[in-house]
Formats: sequence, C-alpha cells, structure tokens
Amino acid sequence: MARRAYRTMLEARLLEEKLAALYRSGKIVGGVFLGRGQEALSAALGVHLRRGDVYAPLIRDQAGRLAFGDTILDTLRTYLGSALGPMRGRDGNIHRGRPSEGYHAMISHLGAMVSTVCGSLMAKRFRGETGAVGATCIGEGGTSTGSFHEGMNMAAVEKLPLVVVVANNQFSYSTPNDRQFACADLMARAAGYGVTGRRAVGNDLADCLGVIGDAVTAARAGDGPQLVVADLLRLVGHGEHDDASYIPAALKKSPLGRDCLEIALETLLDKGWITADEAAAWRVEVEREVEETSSKVLREPAPDPSEEDWNAFAALGRNGEALR
Amino acid sequence: MSSITYLEAIRLAQQRALAEDPRVFIYGQDIGGFGGAFKATKNLAKEFPGRVLDSPISEDAMVGLAIGAAIEGMRPIVEMQFADFSTCGFNQIVNQAATLHYRTGTPCPLVLRLPSGGTPGSGPFHSQSMEAIYAHYPGLIVMTPATVEDAYTMLLEAVALDDPVIFCEHKFLYYHLKADKFPAEALPFGKARITLPGRDATVVAYGAMVHEAVAAAGELASDGYEIEVVDLRTVRPIDTDTILASVARTGRLLVVGEAWPWGGVAAEVITRVAAEGFGLLDAPPQRLNAKETPVPYHPALWGTHRPTASSVAHSLRQLLEL
Amino acid sequence: MFPSPDSKNLLPIIMPQLGESIAEATIVRAAFAVGDRVEADTDLLEVETNKAVMGVTAPCGGLLRELTATIGESYAVGSTLGYLEISDEDAERLGLHDAPPTPVEKPKRKKSSGNDHSGQAGKTVAPTVSGLPVPAHAGGASFLSPRMKARMAELGLHAADLAGVAGSGAGGRVTIDDLERFLQDLERNTISPASSMRVAVADAMRRSWTRPLATVVLPVQLDTLLAHRKRQAVKAGPALYALRALSFALSEMPTTAGRLIGDRVIHPRSIDIGFAVEAEDGVLVPVIRHADQFPLVDLVERYNRLVELARARRLPGSDTGGSIATITNYGVFGLTMATPIPLPEQSLLLGMGAGRITPAWDPEKKAFVPVTEAQFTLSFDHRVLDGGAAGRLLQRVAGLLGSPEEL
Repeated sequence: MARRAYRTMLEARLLEEKLAALYRSGKIVGGVFLGRGQEALSAALGVHLRRGDVYAPLIRDQAGRLAFGDTILDTLRTYLGSALGPMRGRDGNIHRGRPSEGYHAMISHLGAMVSTVCGSLMAKRFRGETGAVGATCIGEGGTSTGSFHEGMNMAAVEKLPLVVVVANNQFSYSTPNDRQFACADLMARAAGYGVTGRRAVGNDLADCLGVIGDAVTAARAGDGPQLVVADLLRLVGHGEHDDASYIPAALKKSPLGRDCLEIALETLLDKGWITADEAAAWRVEVEREVEETSSKVLREPAPDPSEEDWNAFAALGRNGEALR
Repeated sequence: MSSITYLEAIRLAQQRALAEDPRVFIYGQDIGGFGGAFKATKNLAKEFPGRVLDSPISEDAMVGLAIGAAIEGMRPIVEMQFADFSTCGFNQIVNQAATLHYRTGTPCPLVLRLPSGGTPGSGPFHSQSMEAIYAHYPGLIVMTPATVEDAYTMLLEAVALDDPVIFCEHKFLYYHLKADKFPAEALPFGKARITLPGRDATVVAYGAMVHEAVAAAGELASDGYEIEVVDLRTVRPIDTDTILASVARTGRLLVVGEAWPWGGVAAEVITRVAAEGFGLLDAPPQRLNAKETPVPYHPALWGTHRPTASSVAHSLRQLLEL
Repeated sequence: MFPSPDSKNLLPIIMPQLGESIAEATIVRAAFAVGDRVEADTDLLEVETNKAVMGVTAPCGGLLRELTATIGESYAVGSTLGYLEISDEDAERLGLHDAPPTPVEKPKRKKSSGNDHSGQAGKTVAPTVSGLPVPAHAGGASFLSPRMKARMAELGLHAADLAGVAGSGAGGRVTIDDLERFLQDLERNTISPASSMRVAVADAMRRSWTRPLATVVLPVQLDTLLAHRKRQAVKAGPALYALRALSFALSEMPTTAGRLIGDRVIHPRSIDIGFAVEAEDGVLVPVIRHADQFPLVDLVERYNRLVELARARRLPGSDTGGSIATITNYGVFGLTMATPIPLPEQSLLLGMGAGRITPAWDPEKKAFVPVTEAQFTLSFDHRVLDGGAAGRLLQRVAGLLGSPEEL
C-alpha cells in the first residue's frame, strides 16, 4: 500500500509540474491549483478507498484522485479542455469527476461537498448496501464555512461512514490560521460535532497511512464520521498565479516544510519496500507517460460551440426542444 | 366522498411516490412523526419507516444530501419549511443541483418542495415567492401548481423527472382549495392550461394568482368582457406557444404575479410575447405584481401588497381601454 | 438676490403663446434696460419664433426690475423672462397677489439655437412643470398597434384606407376590433377588384400626398400661340408648346424642379419632362428627354408616337420614368381649373385648363376684346418652392408661350 501510495504521489508531483509548465506557456486557460507538498496526505486517503466508496476530492488532491482511479489522461484532458475529457470543456481543472462512479465533481464553494458525500452514503444505506465509506478532503479555511458545519453535523446526526480529512496547510490563500479560526486546535471541532477526531503528520506518508487507515476502518465498522486533522505546508502558491510570498521563510525551512515526497522515499527505502533504482525507474516511467499523454492531448480537439446542444436539462420538451 | 384539499393532494402524491418507487425518500424539518409544519407528510413516516426523516435545521446540507443521494440514483424529496428559507441552501440549489447534469452528464433528480406565497400575517420571511429566482438558472425546473389536481399530478411528475424540480406549492391554497377527485390524466408536462376561455384580453397567471385572475374575469363578465385566463402551471419551462395562441385570440395581455416585478415571471412572459408575437398585440402588454417592498406583516398592508381580484380587474379595465 | 414677492409688486414677464403650436421662442432684442420705466402695451422684448419676429408686451406700466432672459437663448412658452415692478392699483387689477406667489425660478433654457445644426431630432422643449420633456407637437396618445400594422400589411392597407374608420381606442386610435368590424361591414357592399393600374396610381398618389402640396394659377392668353400653330405645316399640340416652354424655364431655374430630401436639395440631372396621357383606368407619363435641346418642330413626331404607345399601354420602359416635371392637359376634359397632384418623385406639375374665349380689357382700345384664355396651374411641393418662386416659374412659362417662334 505504501508503494502504491508513493507511486501516486510521484505521478501527482510530476503531472502537476507538467500542468504548471503548460499553464506558464499559455496552453492552459483559467486556474491551475497544485497540491505540491500535500501529496502524502491525499494519497494516503485515496489508497484506502475502494470501488463502491464515494470520494469528493478537493483542490490539492491530485494524488488522491489518481489513487481512486482518476487517470493522467483524464486530468490532462480536463485541464487542456479537450472535447474528449470527462467534462467535455463544460468545466475545467479540479472541478472534474465521474459522479456516477462515486467520484464527485467538486464545486468551488468550499464545504458544499461534505453533505453531498453524506447524501450518497444515505442512498447506499437506503439500498441496504454496507461497507462503503465516503471521503472528502478540505483545507482548514474550508472548515470555516457554514456548509462544512452543516455537513459535519448532519453526518454525525445520521451517523454516516464519512471520513473528512482536514489538510491544515496554515494558509487559506494568503490568510493565516489566526485569521481563520480561534480554537487552539482544529481537532476540538470533532468533539463539537460528536465525531471521532484523529491527528496526522501531514507530510509523513507512513503516519498518514496509519491514521487514515484507522479512520477508514472505523468508519466502515459503523463508528460514525471520522475527522482527521493533519498539519502540513503548501509548497506552492494558492494558484499558479500566486507566489505565496506570505508564507514565512522560517516556516518553509521548518520540519513542516519538508517535502513529503522526500520523506516518503526515505521511509520506503528505509523499510526496504523500494530500491533506489526502482524509484528512479518509476520517475522516468512517469515522466514519459506524462509527456506522451500531454503531447497526445494537446492535439485533441476543443469543444465546438456550434456542435454543443446548449441545454442544461436532462428532460426535453414535447417536440424534443430544449426547455426554456 | 369528502373533498380533497390542495395540501392533502400533496400528501397523497408523496404517499403514492413512496409506495410505488423505492428510490423515493423525504427529508425535511419536522416532517417525521410530527407530519410537517403544514402536515404535508402526516402519517407518512409511520407508513414508510425510515424513508421520511427529520433533518437538522441545515438547508444547505439538506440540499447537498439530496444531491448526493440523487447522484446515487435515489429520488429525494426535500421539504423546505418555507420557501423563504431555501435561500440558506441557495448555493447547493443553483451551483450544484442545477449544474450537475450539464457539467458531468450525471442527472440530479431531486424535488425541492417550497411552501410559497403569502397568507395574512406571515410577514416578510414566511411569504416569499421564489420561482423567478430559481427559474433564472438553467438546469432547474420550476413548477407552480394552482389547482388541487395539478398539485397532485405535477408532484408525481416532478419525482419522475430526471432534472431538479423546484416545486412551489402555495400555502394560501393549502386549505382554501378543494377538489372532488383527481383527474384520470394529467395535462402534459410544460403545458399551460386555459383555465377560462375568453376573447377580449388574456391574463397569464400562476399559483394563487390564477384564482384572483378568475375572480377578476368574473367581475368583468358583468360588464360584457370575456377575459381569457391562462394558468402557466410551470414557470420553467414556460409554455410560450399557448400564451402566444391566447394573445392571437385576444390581442391584449396582462401578466399577474405575486412576486416582485423586477426580472420576474411576468417580465419573462411579456418579453417573449413582445419578441415572438409582436404583431399579435393590439395594446402595450401590462404586468401586475407585488409592491416593491418586502412583504409586510399587517394584514391590512399585506392585503394591498400583492395583486388581488379587484386590482387585477382594475388593471384589466385599464388595458381594455388602451 | 431675488426680491421678496411680498414686499413689492413684482409682475413676472411671461413668454406668451405666439401662435398655435409654437412652444418656444428665441430672444432677439431687449427694447429696454433694467431700471427703465415702461408704459403699458409697449414691447419689452423682441422674440423670434420659427414663423416670425414678435414682441413681448408689457401688460401695464412699471419699472423693469429684472431681465432674467438672455439674448440669443430660447425659452419655452410660459417661462418667466423678467420682472416688472408695478403699482398697487395695477397689482390689484391684475390679481397679482391673488394666486400663490410665483416661484422665482430660473427660466428653463434650451440649448443655444444659434449654431445648432442637429436638425429636428435634437430639439426638445423644456417643460414648465417638472416631468419629461414633451415634443412640441404631441397630440393624443394615438398609435397604430403592432397587430394593426401586421394586419394592414397582410391586407395591403395603408393609413389612407382607414380614413373612414372611426377609432374606438384611447385617443381615438383605430383598434384591431374597429378594423375587423370595418372590413366586415365593407363586405355588405358590391366589391370589384381594382386593376393593377388603379392600385399603382393609388399608391403613387398616396405617397405624393404625404408632402405639403400647393397650386398657383395664372390665366394665359393663347392667341399668339394659336396663330403660330395655324401657320405650321406640322402642328404641335398645346401641351407640347407648354412642354417646350417649361423646359426653357427650367433650364434657366433648374432648382425649382429639384427635390428636397432631408436638408439637401437634389438638383435635376437633365431637363426630361413628362406629360400625362390617359390610358384605360389610369394615367401614363411618357417622357421627352432633354426637352430643352430640341426645337418644337423636331419633337412633334416623337410626341405623337409616345401618345399612341401610351394609349395602347405599350410604352417602353425607356420612355417613361426619370422625368423632373410633368405637363397635364386637363383642358381636354373641358376642365378650366384643377389642382392635380405631382408625381411622388417630382416637385412640379404644370396643368393646362381648357381655353375659352373671354373678354379681356385692352388698355389701348379702352374696351373689352375677345381673347382665348386658359388657366395654367402649377402644382408644387411647398417644401421645395414657395408661392413666389412658383409664380415666377409660371410667369416665365406664360411669357415663353407668348413668343412661340422661339420654342
């Protein structure tokens, strides 16, 4: 599992470097928001999920998405606006998903996905399906929203098998934590909701895998919602348009600022779960896959406005016309 | 046989939906054992255990939950206690429910029941008519049943549709409107009804205002005018064809809505007739809406805040003299 | 620095209504200065409307206390232009203090009209009460609804066809109901189809009539012309004589046959003159091109041929249209005078009445002598010509007809 997690972290990192390059060369239009520095936490959640679970990843969850079954191809297609991608150009970047496969497509309003995952879990409960878990990630800033609060509360009231991972990366865009919440420790919120709280070291893959693994197990066992709070640092701007100059240098140099990819590799090498050669080979493989896929996607067609049906409804009028 | 009220029609429709479709469940505040603030779900929690659930006061999460359930193939009905509180869940409604199908191809077949419209003494936060706000967003179907029969058939239709439906049921009609039985066949989805055929002018209305329009038509009948009343039934989609055919017959149009005028349903209807049926109009089209203030509390103020049979009759007389 | 209305008798000097439909006037001159004593009924100010220069008169004697109007500016009817300080008796007589005191307001001013070339569209009149400006010629709120227009277009009707319909709508407008009832009522009459010629003439006359048309009349003695004609081997008809005379006159003053489009006078390109020929249920107008360049004798054959072709309805397209004026000889019907309507694309129509022997005063013989006289009419677009110019043109034609050997 750690190997799989590391592999997805590597893929996420290299893929996102490619996305950044494509953005800076004008090939990607709109926003590019990377998860550099948060791959371990995200991958750790993703690898614990299986088919039949419900997952609503957020902005910094490239690794988790890949672990859950998203592909480098779909990612590039969405970012590059290919007509062949899952969103068909109708939405872009991290708003992608395949809801009918349990992979929710987030909306920009933070906190909104918590109750959506709850709803999918309710559906499974109604149908008598057991053993599934619902998961979502959110930043510490997202926990300030009313949506988050309502969603957590509802999950607790309904005692749903929900795992919420809070990636406390110390800054919401440029807003530091002391302007985001006043409780000493975000974990205290768990008690407020009546759910189990767990703490993880956000940039340590082994720790994340352990803590999140416990959380997922507990949720599947029917212990109700699990809130995992992990401290880490975003190693990149809020978006590629941002230089994160508000993150103090001291913080960047602290243990919190250590690159999780390095730590993960150290752990894997240490435990003998991978050799240096293998790791290097993986890097080359992934780089090649990313490069080849992006070249392919760059040649794919953009959506054609004249071919679009420009219809937001599933239902049609009496004569097959769009509803207005 | 005792007659069926508009409210009972809604209750019966939900009962039937729960009975016939295992994918249906109802979520809302106080709807379980209590049967709902207006008793729209009376006894349903007992009859369908585990499928009629009390929710916390969390309109955002209620809608989010419904969306998530709909993604998984359920057909949730969410009861907002008052239409006015739907604004607490506005984000989920317009940004997630309305966009899901367009963005992802996965449909969102939820029904949001909004007890809408004013009753004496309800005040600004228990009286609103939200249909224009939601109709504005592509992806949302907005229904405004005005009759007992439509309340029944259209709610069932709403559950069956794959799109999110904002079901604006009118509180004033809950106990004021009664019918003897349900129709064997419903008017097709999206089709407006000619409630009263006429010749001299067309009044387009929806919800409780249909009844005010009919009463106004009665007043004018004694002066020899035949007023045609069109019940929109759905505000999105609007049955433009039926409206144009009516204006083709009468040449004069008045649109009545309980909500405010700015950018409302009346404005939308008139725009369509002006743009698509310009040559049908023998007089400038008119609209009659609520006064442009929050809905007042005092019944005396409320009584003149929104259109009534006599203000509709007055507007009609002015229209006929143009 | 406005004087209190209570302490003195200050009579506002108001812009009067200087003619029906006048809404405003421009101050041209102030006859007096502030501080002057004026007598009753003297003109205090000279103002110019679009029709004339007129005076604003003092209703009683007094001291010119204040002039708030500015020379060169326009003011709406009813605006206050200044104040006259008057005696108590006069104030009493005029009821100065009866009504609530007139608010001392700055007169509403229009944009300076001196250098305004924006034309009609830019002009509005400032109201004397608060509210939206009202066009100076606003009548009732009468309109042709879109439905009316659509129905009229469908049936090929114009406003002229509805002249006989009384409207029951607001402001007397004709509603769709009025129209349909009118049409239904028509069905009770015998109806026959109008020929395409009839419809074409109707359309032309309707369009022509949208202009302000007028007619001037001049009696013309034809004796010299008739004598000249008698001496010719090839005889030209009177209309051809008139055509040549008109062509000369127009070559001398071509803009009288010009057209006014907006604010531009379109000059004629060549002196092509048409003449009306009655042809089965309508009128055709063959044209003599460059009529000023051919002497009468050279035109006779061409003229006669054109008349034949017209009567037979076989007039080629190249021989009709494009003329700048038309001759019509209604005298052949025995009519002595008529006010025919110029073609819609022309400004002039020269008409000739029947010649009659009539007594005329001969100043030399000091007696009435018999002469052959016909009334010649010139019908014209009054936007292009005024009576004077029309008269001069007609006089010139008459003069030329008196020297037929030059034609």
